[in-house]
Parts: sequence; C-alpha cells; structure tokens
Amino acid sequence: MPDILRVMMLTWEFPPRIVGGISPHVYYLSRSLAKSGVKVYVVTCDFPGAPSHETLNGVEVYRVDSYKNPSPDFASWVYLMNMNMQKEAAFIVRELGGVDIFHAHDWLVANAGIGLKHVFRRPLLATIHSTEYGRRNGIHSDYERMIHETEAWLTYEAWRVICCSNYMISHVKWVFGLPEDKLIMIPNGVDAKEYEKSDNDLNQFRRRFALPEEKIVLFVGRLVYEKGIHVLVNAVPKVLEKVNAKFVIVGNGYMQQSLSEHIKNIGLAHKVMFTGFVDDKTLRNLQKCADVSVVPSLFEPFGIVALEAMAAKSPVVVSDTGGLSEIVEHEVTGIKVYPNNPDSLAWGITRVLLDNDLANNLRKNAYRKVVETYNWEKISQQTKKVYENVLSEYSKTFWA
Amino acid sequence: MRVVILSWEYPPRVVGKLADYVKELAVQLAKNRIETYVVTYHDYMMGEFEENGVKTYRVTNPVKTHISVLTWVLTLNQEVERAAANIYYRACGHIDAMDVQDWHFIPAAVTLKKAFGIPFAYSIESLEDHRSHGADSPFNMAIKSIEWLGMHEAGKILAKSEWMASEAARIYKVPVAKINVVKPGSERWIKTILEVYKSLREGS
Repeated sequence: MPDILRVMMLTWEFPPRIVGGISPHVYYLSRSLAKSGVKVYVVTCDFPGAPSHETLNGVEVYRVDSYKNPSPDFASWVYLMNMNMQKEAAFIVRELGGVDIFHAHDWLVANAGIGLKHVFRRPLLATIHSTEYGRRNGIHSDYERMIHETEAWLTYEAWRVICCSNYMISHVKWVFGLPEDKLIMIPNGVDAKEYEKSDNDLNQFRRRFALPEEKIVLFVGRLVYEKGIHVLVNAVPKVLEKVNAKFVIVGNGYMQQSLSEHIKNIGLAHKVMFTGFVDDKTLRNLQKCADVSVVPSLFEPFGIVALEAMAAKSPVVVSDTGGLSEIVEHEVTGIKVYPNNPDSLAWGITRVLLDNDLANNLRKNAYRKVVETYNWEKISQQTKKVYENVLSEYSKTFWA
Repeated sequence: MRVVILSWEYPPRVVGKLADYVKELAVQLAKNRIETYVVTYHDYMMGEFEENGVKTYRVTNPVKTHISVLTWVLTLNQEVERAAANIYYRACGHIDAMDVQDWHFIPAAVTLKKAFGIPFAYSIESLEDHRSHGADSPFNMAIKSIEWLGMHEAGKILAKSEWMASEAARIYKVPVAKINVVKPGSERWIKTILEVYKSLREGS
C-alpha cells in the first residue's frame, strides 16, 4: 500500500460548472477525501472564468478545454471531450510520476477512464449516478442504445461499481448484468454544517413567502412528471380543508405553465407560490423555514433533496419509492406516502402539520440520521476503504 | 528498432486502398529487421498473430451500436490503446515510434505519446476536406479537428504525393519541413520511411 493514496477523479462537471448532481457530489467527496489524507486530482471540463489548474481545499483541480471540437450531437461531444480529457490526463499522470487509482463518474467520462486504466495499468472505479435506461424509462433508439452500451462498457472495465442506494444497486445489477460482488453501496451525502450558519432574521425572510399564520409546505425540484409535482398540486385543496398552509414550489420545468393555470382555475393562486430557480442561500433558508418538505417523486435513484430538508431540520413527507424508501423510516425520520396518490400525500402533509410533537420528533431523528449516516466524512472513509481494498487485490495481479 | 503501426484497415479487412498498402509497408519493415507490430480492427477475429514476420494485434469495438463512423471510431480507440499498451509493457516500456494511418487512431496515438513519450508519424492516405468535398457540417468539422490534432502532435507527416504534401500544408498550416513525401512503389519509398522513423526515435 502506498504511503499516500493518489486518486485521479474524472468528472464532466465540477464547481463552478454545475449541470446536475455529479458536480456537488465530486466536490464534497474529493474535499473530504483530501481531509482524510488522500491526494485527489480532479480532471474536469473547463468553465468560463475558472482557472485551468487550481488547488481547492487540498484538491488539485485540472480543467480541460472541452469545446474545441465541433460536434454534431451531445453524445459525439461527450466522446470528443473524452479524447481531450484523456490526452491531458495522460500528460498530468506522466508529470506526477503516476497515480494509484482512476475513479470515473458516469458514462460521460467512460472513454477517458478506460483508456487511462489500460495505458497506465491501474485499477478503474466507476460511480454510476444514473442510467440511460432509467432516465428514458427504457431504450428506444440507436442513440440511447449507444449510451447504454457505453455505460455497460464502463461497468465491465471497472474493478468495482459504486452506487448511492440499494435501489440503484439492484437496478444497475439487472440492467448491465453485473455480478453482485462487483457492486458497492455508498450513500450520497449532505453537508449539515451549511445549514448551521445562523441567519440574522428568518422571520423577516419567511414573510416574503407566507403569512405568519400560514404553515409552509415546500417542494424543491424540477417541475417534471417523474418528480410528481402534479401529485402535490392535486393534494393542495385536500390539505387546505384541514390546515391553513402556503405551498412554495421551487424549480423550473415544462409542467410549470399547466400547473399554475390549474391552480388559478380552482381559485387557489394565493395559496401556491412558484418561485422558479433560487440561489443556494435562499434555498437553504426556505428549507429551514419549511414546516414540512415534500418529495412526491414517482422515480428517484437517490433523493438528495430529502436529505437536504432533513439537514435543515424540516420534517419530510416522501413517496415510498426508489432511494427515498431507504432514506426515510416511516414515522421515525419522516412520513412515507403512496407514490402517485394525492389522498395519501395530503394525509401525510396534514399529519405532520397538525401534530407538533410528531413534527419535532421527526426533525430530531432525521437530523441525527443525516449527521450519523449521510455525512461526507463517513462517506469518504467508506470510499477510501474501497480504494484500499481494490489496491490490495490489485497488488496480487501481474499488472502490479 | 520497434515500430507500432495503427491502422483501421488491414487484410483480411479491406475497406479501400489502405489495407494492402499497410500490409506491404509492414512486410517491408519486417524484411528490414524492424520489429513491426500492426494494431488494427476486426469485427470478430481478435487477438495476436504473426504473419510474414509481422505481429498483428486485432481488437474489436466494445460498443456495438453507433450513430456514425465518428462515434464508432471514438469508442474503438480505447481498445487500440489497450493493445498498444500491452505491446509497450511486454517490451519493457520500449517502443521507438508509431506510424498512424489516417485520422481514425490519432486519439490513441496522441494519448500514448503523452503517457509514454513515444513519437509518431501521421501517414496521410486521404483528408476529410477531399473526402467530403469541402463539406463543413459539425460531423465533418469534428473529423477535421481530429486530423488537425494529428498534424500538430505528430513528429513527422508522411504524404504519398507532392500534391498531398502541399494540401496538408495548405489546409492545416503544417510547416513544409515536417512533411516527407514517400511515393509507394518508388525505390526510395521504404528507405525514406526508415529514415523518418530513425529521426523520430532520435527526436529530431
């Protein structure tokens, strides 16, 4: 085992470039790994204004020119970006005198990860955050099949495949036909400290969204079908029969127009507020103010937004599906309701809003769960352990 | 001297004129006591063989479904890298030069150069500008950008005619001194190629 573990992490997004969930995931993971003594080199796509090399919280970040090749479509762009990423990474590894492990996040960096593995004869790890099959609910074209096969190729070449929920483990196992012992579950995390920063006046802030006598029901997510926002909208009148509440809906998506029109038609526009995108600080304050946070998703590989609410000490009501089922323990760390069922969702919301003792218990237990299980320090320790196990197996092969 | 040729066609897989040319090149190199490897593609006939003193290493594409020759080429390159890396490690980290035939395996050659410091020659059979009659759709431009990468990362460029040499210089602004003309079938053909490999090895 080397004195200092050197990991090269490949990702197509890293702050300030944020497209989806991989960027914050790699940011927190690499930072915590660096704190626990792992030397992490992140190689990622460039972003206007961001330096091509910087040291950030002990992590070496390299940004690669990724828009120099004209591309006919997104997948071709991904493969061409990989060509550039791989050649730059190969140069960096040579300058460094080698690294111990390559760690790739999703098919978006599959080619680069696989090429580097063979060229430097070092083990490759893959984290699969989501699959083409899951995103599209099946494979329907050559384009989608090509991406699906690229994902399969990455999991085939990887020494171990990491997923963030048991739900994703079983999905990935089935969709790529992987052996059980190749898969490892390490949950996603949330930085609870971000929510501890005291803000001068939350009451003042709260007034921007609701009247003092109104309870705040918060939804955060893209306004698309699989997030179940329509289920929440249908639950609104059912909740209002029992509790005076304000529904705050954060996020954008193709369903916004039709949903807000529906709300207007049933005469409840004053009870539902669409905020669109909000900045990180506003979002955290909203999560802290929320009397209940709702995650009514129909499909959810992990459900990070539920964890964030739990870290903000807001009670959560989630649909009993995917990763959400694993995060929330019914009546202990939150309330689980039937997916795609407005009556069940309204029941869950009113149950939390009408029972303060229950709500406070949920807050307390959920917060403890987040700090104990979903903290980055623990996640990076688990990840480091995987690196060490892989290197120990590797040391017995002819590549070593 | 140990040389690895990267070519997307090699007999029995014949797409155009390139396959037979590369075979003749490899056989002549072997006759001149060059340890010659050819890394190439075949749909199912994978693995290593020795044919006429030439060591061939055939790989297939790990991703079967594709939307264009561009995506097909870009996922095949990692297998080419794997084969070349296997040759490299078996030879205790010693390959003197690579010779890349056309644009297809330029990405692999560039990565191998960055990783191991192996210089390469880029042999031009044809250029995208001529193949596509000047088309400039994103698809054609993507292939041209790979040719551009090859032109600028290669230590030497081998053109098969004076005309092709001048076209490479015109389209990709390559310094003329970097281009050598090697006319197939001419007396000086293999001699010039051997000189080019030697100059690559010596880093001049």
